[in-house]
Amino acid sequence: MKCPRCAQVIHRGAGLCPHCGFGIADADAMHGTGSISQRRLADMAGLMRSRDRVRVSAALDRFCRRFPQLFFAVYTSSGTVVEDLRQYGFWMLNRANFEDLSEGKTNDGGILLVMDAESKSASVTWGYLLDPYLSEEDTFICMSRAHAYWLESRFADGTIRMLEQLENILRKRVSQARRDPGKFEKKVAAPVHTGEVARRIREGHEQHSISRTEVES
Amino acid sequence: MKFLAWIVSAALVFGGLASGETEVANPSEEATEEVTKTGLLDTFVEAYFGARPDKYLIDPQGLLSSKDREEREDFLQYHSGDSEIDLFVFLFSKDDRLPEGGAAAKMKKQFFSEGKPAVLAFYFLGDPKRAEISLSPSLAGAVPVAELRRSLTSSIGEAQEKPDAMSQLEAFCVQLSIRIYWMEQAAGLVNDTAAAPTSDPSTDPTANEVEELPINEAKQWVREYGASVGIMGGAILIVVTGLSIVRRRARYRLPVIDVAPRLGGEHAAGIGAVISFANTQRSPSTQRNDGTDSLGL
Repeated sequence: MKCPRCAQVIHRGAGLCPHCGFGIADADAMHGTGSISQRRLADMAGLMRSRDRVRVSAALDRFCRRFPQLFFAVYTSSGTVVEDLRQYGFWMLNRANFEDLSEGKTNDGGILLVMDAESKSASVTWGYLLDPYLSEEDTFICMSRAHAYWLESRFADGTIRMLEQLENILRKRVSQARRDPGKFEKKVAAPVHTGEVARRIREGHEQHSISRTEVES
Repeated sequence: MKFLAWIVSAALVFGGLASGETEVANPSEEATEEVTKTGLLDTFVEAYFGARPDKYLIDPQGLLSSKDREEREDFLQYHSGDSEIDLFVFLFSKDDRLPEGGAAAKMKKQFFSEGKPAVLAFYFLGDPKRAEISLSPSLAGAVPVAELRRSLTSSIGEAQEKPDAMSQLEAFCVQLSIRIYWMEQAAGLVNDTAAAPTSDPSTDPTANEVEELPINEAKQWVREYGASVGIMGGAILIVVTGLSIVRRRARYRLPVIDVAPRLGGEHAAGIGAVISFANTQRSPSTQRNDGTDSLGL
């Protein structure tokens, strides 16, 4: 788990980044407060032709059908700084209201691909529901599949390819979770309270010293 | 055989002359069998036409050596086992003539009216062009005369191409055996209409058979295994189609695990990879942006 701003590893349940102090308030300050309304496919940079947008929308719908808890959204922009892609994805998935989302789905099950045409970069952000099941490496593998297409400015083809790869990964995760759910629970389990551990150690020391005193007396 | 009779009579005459006797040889000392106008001894006529032959090669005169006779007999037996029409070969010497008075016709009517249909071939050893063939009564109306004539012509033609009498007889029998196959077709004794006889006598039926062999084997295979293979193929297709449909309609649900919110985000805080697609020369991994990781993790 990383901070969207400094990309440092943070512990589970951190209210703010212990390294840079980043939180949702900082993102709100940068990109605006309050929710925004948009569709799952928001090609703001105009990277896709209308025919391609239809294909990508169909792929997004298919993903939604196969994974009833999840959805995939695509946002293209122009001029976003590379370092901001993570923060922007983090902010959008928390603040956006996806109007074409079917009932019962929340942003917790969302996976957002943010692409910037100017910096030619892309990043992925996901909701808490996917926290135990997706890793940064998984998203890199998915985007690697799309990389060749994106290099040729075939953004729709690349996105569809990425979606197919993501479906494969998630299918495996579903079957793994059926066989061994504990493995995934462990990944996101609450961290061991360090103060409690220290207290037990101290208590152990105290008991040990008492017993030695009793023996000596 | 006539030559043998001639030698006997010549020897008798010469013996009488040498001894000065002029009397005619005692009839009782002459051969009991009289040589008929056909050139055949009566006993031979009886042997040829007196009963239904128990072998397919009828050679009472012993014109063939035992080895050759055995070979021809084997071939005719093989033909009989393979064909719906038997082939009987009546073997005569070059100088023999068929008896007048319809002995052959009587024999045919008397002994071949019943039983398996047969072709009777009267072959003169060393003179194949004189060969004659005749059909048993049950076949007489079924096989066209033209077909019969073609068969005879074809068989004689094959025989005449051979240099010696034995090879001629062998070629005659083989070709006639082949032509009998077409007679079976014409008589409707076999149902294989794919190999209908042709009117062209120059057509070589053996070549056709060789060409059709793989096709017939394939047909046979299809007849034997076609149904089971079809059922198996259909079952596999149904299973594959079913699996494809099941997979297409499958719905995948992840177990919901409670995750403590991070960084104040209400719904999401999962940060994935950042990748650049600006450089066509570099691999995706070298264009990956991991950010600064001061903790070295």
